[in-house]
Amino acid sequence: MKKNILKGFLCSAFLLTLIGFLLLPQRSQTEDTKAFRLLVEVDNNMWATTKYIDGRLIIDNGRRIRELAMESWMEGVTRSYSYYKSPPRERGTKMLKLDKKLWMYTPQTDRKILIAGHMLRQSMMGSDLSYEDMMEDEKLSEAYTGTIDGEEELEGVKTLVMTLKARKKTKTYQILKIWADPVRKIVLKQEAYAKSGKLLKLIYFREYRRVGNRLFPRKMVFHDMLKKNTQTTYMFDKIEFDVTIPKKYFSIRILKR
Amino acid sequence: MRAFLNVLVTALTMVAVVFNISLYNGFLDQAIHNMVTTDVAGGHYRAPEFDLLSPTEWEDQTFKTPGILSSLPSTDKAEVLLLQGHIFPNRRLFPVQLRGMEMQQTLLDLPFDKLEEWNAPIDDVIPIIIGKQMADKSHLKLGDYVVMKWRDRFGAVDALDVQVVDVVPLVNVRLDQGVVWLRLDHLRKITHREQEVSWIAVKQFQGAIANTEFQAPEILLKDILDMIKNDRRFAVIIWIILIFLAGISVFNTQYLNIFKRQREIGMLMAFGMPPARIVRLFTVEGSLAAISAVGVALVLGTIIFTWFQSVGLDVSHLSETNIPIRENIFLKIDPVEVILSAVIIVAIMIFVAWAPVRKISMLDATQALRGRAIT
Repeated sequence: MKKNILKGFLCSAFLLTLIGFLLLPQRSQTEDTKAFRLLVEVDNNMWATTKYIDGRLIIDNGRRIRELAMESWMEGVTRSYSYYKSPPRERGTKMLKLDKKLWMYTPQTDRKILIAGHMLRQSMMGSDLSYEDMMEDEKLSEAYTGTIDGEEELEGVKTLVMTLKARKKTKTYQILKIWADPVRKIVLKQEAYAKSGKLLKLIYFREYRRVGNRLFPRKMVFHDMLKKNTQTTYMFDKIEFDVTIPKKYFSIRILKR
Repeated sequence: MRAFLNVLVTALTMVAVVFNISLYNGFLDQAIHNMVTTDVAGGHYRAPEFDLLSPTEWEDQTFKTPGILSSLPSTDKAEVLLLQGHIFPNRRLFPVQLRGMEMQQTLLDLPFDKLEEWNAPIDDVIPIIIGKQMADKSHLKLGDYVVMKWRDRFGAVDALDVQVVDVVPLVNVRLDQGVVWLRLDHLRKITHREQEVSWIAVKQFQGAIANTEFQAPEILLKDILDMIKNDRRFAVIIWIILIFLAGISVFNTQYLNIFKRQREIGMLMAFGMPPARIVRLFTVEGSLAAISAVGVALVLGTIIFTWFQSVGLDVSHLSETNIPIRENIFLKIDPVEVILSAVIIVAIMIFVAWAPVRKISMLDATQALRGRAIT
């Protein structure tokens, strides 16, 4: 009799353990799918095959504030072209990114400079962004895998906090943390971490507005967390998605007066 | 009195000329010594495209230590990995060179004992050493913690706190300005560059090695050698000016001698002494100044040089430049150069003692006796 009770107990324990094992990954898998879906929806808002931006870059290095106005045309992650309209010192400066090379043209010297490879990682015009940060426009859902850490209220909005890990070792920021609004499918805050886990950059996405069928921020505020009292605000005064970009914009021949 | 002044001026000229040459020799010797003992050694094996002046390319120009070099004893080679990085003292961006130095090596004379002594894991804090100049510029001091940022082999950005475990006086300024020193194993670990080096300093050439290029010391020291060569030109100009001044002094004295001693010359001629002999007499008299000057220069030089060698010349102001000297410099006296300089000076002095007295051969004895031969 005792033997049967023990047998029954062992069988029940085994079954419960089995069910637990089967359920746990399923729950995690559901969470991952949810995270992935949210990333895809965020990408649908933020990302387009082609983009036109009429914007301003406001660079505050703690001592003085500079404002650069420019127009940019972007195609995926590989091609982009920017034309600087002001201030007078920068007026006429052009930047062309083709694949992993970036050319910069300044009218003062009437020369084009190739900013290749590691130069792309330098700070762009003294801002909190590197050339790489400025020109790179890769889909979050393609570059990272996400996990949901929990919920948090941010500036009165209930957000999902997600940790994103880079799919490739070559990605500049291996770890991102985002605060995403699951209702509007937008990101409100993003933190970029070093591999060691040290916080490097903090980005706020502010003043979302409707552009066609998307929600896009009016401004992004970048903070380099290793520097003191610096911030760079990227103002998107005008933005258009899926525009037709003239071929000449992605040709080196455009880099002249 | 005039003769004594002549001797003194010539002697001081000799001392100045030898001092000038020896100081340049000492400077060159010290600069080369500092470069060789701290960086160059007997040459570097580098990747063929490596260029120290192209920091953005450093991370692409590394190579794995070839077997033939890795088997060398630690007295004969030093592996170095050089990468770009940033530190943030007082949360301000400060671009730096990250230099990883092999700890076992004894080929180069670098005071990195504190790095070697570090035995804690580097998951939270990495030990670094900086030079005094770098410490001044970055306002970092011993024991300070600062954030350091770098890229790993794949291009991913990484950052961690580093601790300044020592601030060392580096005689070679090039290893100080903007340089953060790490242990090679630490730098390799944080950048995922196992066995990679930027160059390997060796005691002597080990033969051609595939995929590397040997840079001989003459190539690595080229800029400093060129600079010294250029300075030598100025030394020669100073040398010429000094000799010219001493020569003018002797020439003047001789000219005055003849003018003042016309009657004496006329008398010697009247007594039948041939003009050539009188010329020789006056030339020997004038040349005695140069010969005596050698003796006086020897005495003066010994005193001055002995004193100078005890104090040296403070060139600490050069630490702001790229010249690899921080300590006092001393004279390096080359006996061949000293003898050569003395011989040239004596020869020139004899010439300038002879040139003005040539006039004697054209003098009229009666006019000379009346003191009207030279007006």
